[in-house]
Amino acid sequence: MSQYQVSIDIGGTFTDCVVSDGSRRAVVKAPSTPPAFEQGFMDALALAARAFDADLPGFLARTARIVHGTTVATNALVEGRTGAVGLICTAGHPDVLTLREAPRKRAFDWRLDYPRPFVPRNRTVEVRGRIDARGNEIAPLAEEDVRAAVDHFRRCPVDAIAVSLLWSVVEPAHERRVGKIVRALWPEVPVTLSHTLNPIPREYRRTIATAIDAALHAIVPAYLGRLEGAVREAGFGGTLLVANCQGGMMTVGEIAARPIHAVMSGPTLAPIAALALSEEPDIVVIDMGGTTFDVSAIRARSLIRTTEAPINDDLLGLPKIDVRSVGAGGGSIAWVDSGGLLRVGPVSAGADPGPAAYGRGGTRPTVTDANLVLGLLDPDYFLGGRLPLDTDAAHAAVATVADALGLEVAEAAYAIHVTSNENMIAAIEDITVNEGIDPRESFLVAGGGATACHIGEMAQALGIERFMVPGVAAGLSAFGGLVTDIRGEETATLHTSNRHFALDAVNRTLAALHERARRFLERAGVPEPDRRYEYAFQARYKYQSWEIEAPFAPAAGALTEADVPALSDAFHAMHERIHTIREDDGEVEFTTWTVRAIGTGSRAAAAGEQAAAPAGGRLPERGRRAVYLGEERAFRALPAYDGNAPPAGAEIAGPALIDSDTTTILLLAGQRARTDAGGNFHIDTGGD
Amino acid sequence: MAETTPERFDPLLMAVLSRRLEAIIREMSNTVMRASRSAVITNARDMSCGILTYDHRLICVEEAMPIHVSALELTTRPITALFDDVKEGDAFFNNSPYHGVTHHADMTLCVPVFADGEPLFWVLSRSHHADVGAPEPTTYLPYAATLYQEGVHFPCVRIQENREDKADIVRIGLQKIRAPHVWYGDYRAQVGACRIGERRLKALVAHYGNETVRAFVDAWMDYGSRRAEAAIRELPAGTWRYTCSHDPIPGVAEDGIPITAEVTIEPEDGFITVDLRDNPDCVPGGVNLSEACAAGSCRIGVFYNLDPTIPHNEGSASRIRVKLRDGCVVGRPTFPAGTSVATTNVNDRLINAVQCCFAQIGAPHGLAEGGGNMSAGLGVVSGIDDRDGAPVPYVNQFCVGLSGGPGTHGHDGWLTYEAPDGGGVLVIDSIEIDEAQYSILMEERRIAMDTMGAGRWNGAPATQGAYRSLAGPVSVFYCSDGDLNPAQGVLGGAAGAPSLNRKREADGSFRTLPSFHEERLAPGEAMHYRTVAGGGYGEPTARDPAAVAEDVARGWLSIERALGVYRVALVRAANGIDIVVDEERTRLLRAWEG
Repeated sequence: MSQYQVSIDIGGTFTDCVVSDGSRRAVVKAPSTPPAFEQGFMDALALAARAFDADLPGFLARTARIVHGTTVATNALVEGRTGAVGLICTAGHPDVLTLREAPRKRAFDWRLDYPRPFVPRNRTVEVRGRIDARGNEIAPLAEEDVRAAVDHFRRCPVDAIAVSLLWSVVEPAHERRVGKIVRALWPEVPVTLSHTLNPIPREYRRTIATAIDAALHAIVPAYLGRLEGAVREAGFGGTLLVANCQGGMMTVGEIAARPIHAVMSGPTLAPIAALALSEEPDIVVIDMGGTTFDVSAIRARSLIRTTEAPINDDLLGLPKIDVRSVGAGGGSIAWVDSGGLLRVGPVSAGADPGPAAYGRGGTRPTVTDANLVLGLLDPDYFLGGRLPLDTDAAHAAVATVADALGLEVAEAAYAIHVTSNENMIAAIEDITVNEGIDPRESFLVAGGGATACHIGEMAQALGIERFMVPGVAAGLSAFGGLVTDIRGEETATLHTSNRHFALDAVNRTLAALHERARRFLERAGVPEPDRRYEYAFQARYKYQSWEIEAPFAPAAGALTEADVPALSDAFHAMHERIHTIREDDGEVEFTTWTVRAIGTGSRAAAAGEQAAAPAGGRLPERGRRAVYLGEERAFRALPAYDGNAPPAGAEIAGPALIDSDTTTILLLAGQRARTDAGGNFHIDTGGD
Repeated sequence: MAETTPERFDPLLMAVLSRRLEAIIREMSNTVMRASRSAVITNARDMSCGILTYDHRLICVEEAMPIHVSALELTTRPITALFDDVKEGDAFFNNSPYHGVTHHADMTLCVPVFADGEPLFWVLSRSHHADVGAPEPTTYLPYAATLYQEGVHFPCVRIQENREDKADIVRIGLQKIRAPHVWYGDYRAQVGACRIGERRLKALVAHYGNETVRAFVDAWMDYGSRRAEAAIRELPAGTWRYTCSHDPIPGVAEDGIPITAEVTIEPEDGFITVDLRDNPDCVPGGVNLSEACAAGSCRIGVFYNLDPTIPHNEGSASRIRVKLRDGCVVGRPTFPAGTSVATTNVNDRLINAVQCCFAQIGAPHGLAEGGGNMSAGLGVVSGIDDRDGAPVPYVNQFCVGLSGGPGTHGHDGWLTYEAPDGGGVLVIDSIEIDEAQYSILMEERRIAMDTMGAGRWNGAPATQGAYRSLAGPVSVFYCSDGDLNPAQGVLGGAAGAPSLNRKREADGSFRTLPSFHEERLAPGEAMHYRTVAGGGYGEPTARDPAAVAEDVARGWLSIERALGVYRVALVRAANGIDIVVDEERTRLLRAWEG
């Protein structure tokens, strides 16, 4: 009897499910069902069971593990449906969440509203007591203020309490005491303490993460409870794990205790999928959906983390895997501004009415409409023929832009297509060039059903010579759930410098972090041989205030005096890579220390494997389709090949189309596609 | 193939290349912010980057401070005027207000970008350095009547050849500037940014070819011009004047400095003219504007009233004609008149005057006055930090309290506005980052109640706070315009609250301090500041009562002022915390008023 490994990624529109039985892999999609997302989850499981000719109880009985990437936290935040939070802060500083670090705006734009704070001011209570930057107590904690705060919050009322005091990361005594008092007075309300959730300096970032975590306590644990109940009732007895924003998985209990880690949990799986699909060291991972374009990068086989992930009008505050979303999807609307420049997005036609081509009443031209006009999409074979497209409606919509630009309809459609490419290219450059990565030195992995007819031109524009359209492209994130690790991280703030390095204190900190990381893996049931630990520090030159992270590997988990110059050298090198300059005799200040806990053996054995496709075959030709080619500025009939279940080693030379049930690949002249044994398409381009 | 005339340049390629240039500037700015050492650059983001053609046409700015970049061509022009041997690998350093720089603290690095041996572009990085070697440890010297009192100037000098620092030039800064390692670190961050910009532009030209890139530049300028022209065509024709006044400065301008802007809109031709010639002569102090500030601020005041998505390049700027006078406080200063404070004080009054001319047209045009601010919330603080053993002297400008923005039609003022010259892009300091780096305790920072300029759309409230030293004595410099003349409202809107600087003595008593001042704080003494609030737009009695209720709920407005100024009656909800509009009483109050 084969065992199933299942991964389900719930997005805003579709719930993707990838199943592996060790020899065969299936991708199924069910509509998402907000706000009761667990319904779409169960629907996807039922479809998956059918794909393996099983009934749901029988399928679940043989399922060893389900990994879940969920948009429930992201959605609740974007739609403002989280719980009500009360915030306890240091006296004198009640406006941290209003002032932020000053929200970003366009310099010449005054026709906009200042964003409201995540926690309203009258749900924020100041308590007296003050710690300074070195951990000294300037004023004792006024416990009567804490009691008054609890009384205030009970009257409001609130669903959860966030506590974020200045310098709790250096001396947490006041914050701990506040937590004790609150729990004693109001035991049933969830409390998040900033120094335990997100122990970094910069009060806004720590406070917003704490407040978001508290707000999600009203959403995420209840959702996971319903989900686990439903799946257990249906007969599942295996392990249920949830993807986190750190690029790994946590147990349900762990993520319910720190629900902020569930934000962006699904899209974070896409770069993990790319790591499993490709051996390349430097990879750019893209995923174009209906309304957004998600992009992430891998450098030297490592995921890139960010401390500045945005959410609504705020930062998330917590470091997470850097996956960026821009409003550039198939549904993005094209328009012409007053100076005659074509723009695409960020407004989207969404699912309703959707692109004009969907025939649901949409009249404004979208990227999907343009692609249909250009012949890139087959109107009778969109989603395998399940959604017939209306070519006339798409034509009429694109004509509105064509008139404004004084172009032929096909030219205008191409302009929309290319402008959309540029929006996506800008997002790719944002995550690469800004981090000192040259996209031309990267390999590109394209996920999402809509991406493959844009990728050839984007690769050309970026100078990327090789890319991949995986067989699981339409469920890339869900696939990531099959191949990821248990992963958590523990962080502490400890200021020191290479001029007077506090070796003992650093080693004590590292030991404490390691112990916490070890306990995390123990709770997740990871056996000893599968436990792995990664170390990193954040550092800066003296008087800089933005740190750079660098990895290090202390032998036996402790540093010696002899290791300190190597830490400085690692920092100088990283600084030069990112900023082109270094200062070898500059004083290096170390601020934050991190130990990442990884449970490698948790990865589903052979989940990424499937029986190798037979070699030496060819792709069947489906016929020819007239496609507008930008280089020729004309339509040209191109051969269209069937890309479903491709044999290994097949080669297709561009210009050509490869259609499958969930995606269409456009190969340009000079680009060649080759299939591998895993059903993936590898495209080489000679550059230009 | 791409067409090469501006009118018919390939629109696709134009979108591509304009985005590429923006991305390059973003990358340059990111480098400056993250790699610099001065808090005012690295925390507050008081810096900008830009790209110009080699013949000095501004192509692109991104997330920049408006005052830094709105007349950038004046900064690069002196290089080609002074040097006939500009070559690849050079870098030019300039902080001279008589060589096109805004003021002496805005040290600017310009690097020429060559392709195939031909110069095509300038990349430029401008950062507000924390010290410039002036007699006092501050970069704002309101009493410096001449350039000779301003510290060190690099009047457009070549500081790099073959991409290497010229040690003799650098040595001037290292000797003359306090905390020289901080200055040098900031300078090197600018080098890093410009070299990144150079590298990216060379790659871009290599990819697309010189001819295409040149054609793009012409088309891009043309696009900017057309966008600005289209926007101006929608405005009514006429001439409007507006005057506002800088506060008195003892010994420099005893009666204050009135600043008048005259704006003439010619929609049929698509031009706007800003005339500043009817203004006082230079004053014997540091508040005179440099030419870069005077010209730039006229453009800024106009651009604040046009569609913000218009590219701010040479093309759009060409639709704005500026009339300046020699020897004028807001014109071309007569050498060696002092311009130390040229980017802020009088300059902020000038931008207010220009933007408020548009409000004279009537709703929905224009903006109220925004708070200028150089209160002690933006004080330059110096002292000795001995927390870690060895005493370390420091000098740095804090950016802990920003002024409130002006109300405009449809929107309240922007809270973290700071000043007209900044476009709301300054970042407010993190309390913890300031306290970690300097031996200062930030006791308080909060939004100040009942300070907003009331209006149908309010000016943003002031921010108030207090700080003190945790080590030895410290010195605080500030030049706080707005203590006397607040930011006025327009079209029936009220003025915002003025700024306020007070010292808390060791015994807990308060003493109000002068507006242009250096104060020394002994241990146990604290500096209390309040920034300037923005002016309101339209009649406060026309404000949406729900918005008034929200202002009370968030502690920006008292229930008494809600009733007295806005004529909105409010009551507490059942929980005793939330605020609800008493609709019936409000209707009666407003009917009676009307």
